[in-house]
Amino acid sequence: MFDHIDARSPVPLYEQIAAELRLAIAGQELRPGEALPSVRQLATSLRVNPATVVQAYRDLERGGYVELRHGAGTFVRALTAQRRESERSRQVRALVRRLLADAAKLGVGVRELREALAQETGAKAR
Amino acid sequence: MTQAIETRGLRYRAGSFEIRSLGLSVPAGSIYGFLGPNGSGKTTTIRLLLGMARRVAGEVRLLGHDVPAQLPAALGRIGYVPERPHLYQALTVAEALRFHGAFYPAWDAAWAESLRAQFALAAGQRIGRLSKGEVGKLMILLALAQRPDLLILDEPTDGLDPIVRRDVLTAVLEYVAEMHATVFVSSHLVHELERICDWVGVLDHGSLVAQLPIEHFKSGVKRVRFGTPPVLTNGLHLEVISRGADPVGAGELWVVRNWSDDLGHSLTEAGAHVREVIDLDLEDVFVELLRGSRQPV
Repeated sequence: MFDHIDARSPVPLYEQIAAELRLAIAGQELRPGEALPSVRQLATSLRVNPATVVQAYRDLERGGYVELRHGAGTFVRALTAQRRESERSRQVRALVRRLLADAAKLGVGVRELREALAQETGAKAR
Repeated sequence: MTQAIETRGLRYRAGSFEIRSLGLSVPAGSIYGFLGPNGSGKTTTIRLLLGMARRVAGEVRLLGHDVPAQLPAALGRIGYVPERPHLYQALTVAEALRFHGAFYPAWDAAWAESLRAQFALAAGQRIGRLSKGEVGKLMILLALAQRPDLLILDEPTDGLDPIVRRDVLTAVLEYVAEMHATVFVSSHLVHELERICDWVGVLDHGSLVAQLPIEHFKSGVKRVRFGTPPVLTNGLHLEVISRGADPVGAGELWVVRNWSDDLGHSLTEAGAHVREVIDLDLEDVFVELLRGSRQPV
């Protein structure tokens, strides 16, 4: 799940970790009621500062994605279908923004991008 | 107490080497990366902190204790891994644990034993016969099992293989997660610290050239490839750390601080052509910062 964590990115590590978890929660890879790894487990497996994991979990708690139960751990909350949908579309928009930024670097315009997209998806459907 | 380590106006001199008015400030609970090239004075600074070298002037406080007046009280709460191990070669691993443990009030013999097993160190093995990696693990074990509030690690993984490095790092992170201890770790292996530090201090020629939270250290420092460089940067909130010809293409390559998208737009409007804005990792920022502090643009 955390293959994309990149210390080099200008996006702080805690935000990257929170974003991966939000994605997993919205996509129901992590089910409601399921426990997140302990701070200690996640910090050592990602080799990041435990404070970074705590910050990511607090961020998710503020957003209503998880609840912190004292002494027990951090648990995924049930999201309404509407909430999941809005999180999905947020992710899609972010995806498109990244694509557009990369395309701009190449000097590729929207039309060319559309054609390439149609070609790729067409190729897959066949 | 909010600072685990605090120095004011710390000065030291040995021959031509000098530490000038060092003001370290290490927040309690942080993992502080003490960076600097070889010979910049990192080890000397640590020796000054721990009362092993004599300062010319200045104040040191460790965990709220005045040093050197209250040094013994401070040392009982500090786990220190020196650059060069100082262990009696004739002792076995088990004897070294007993010997070391006797000095520390909070020594946790049970945990020392479980770390020994986790690190696969044979209790009966003589220290003199341990491999370099095993000595590295034993040193970190000794520092952790005294349950310190502050860990001072001087190049703890230098010269160790990647597997041992990871074992050592994991043990430290587990301890921090559990005990909320402060870690002060010196290294010239910048890359290794990038994921774990929340504070960074950079030492060069005995002077602290930067000390700030890591996200501030990295934020806004970019490498920018210009097809056409801006004519003027006066009046802009942009600091040029270095500039030169772009090895790829005909443009220029700049390293700047305080970059933002808005700034890129205004430069473009003023006739510059920005080809690419590249994020820098901690090591790049570190190198550029030292270059900038040594020779002004």
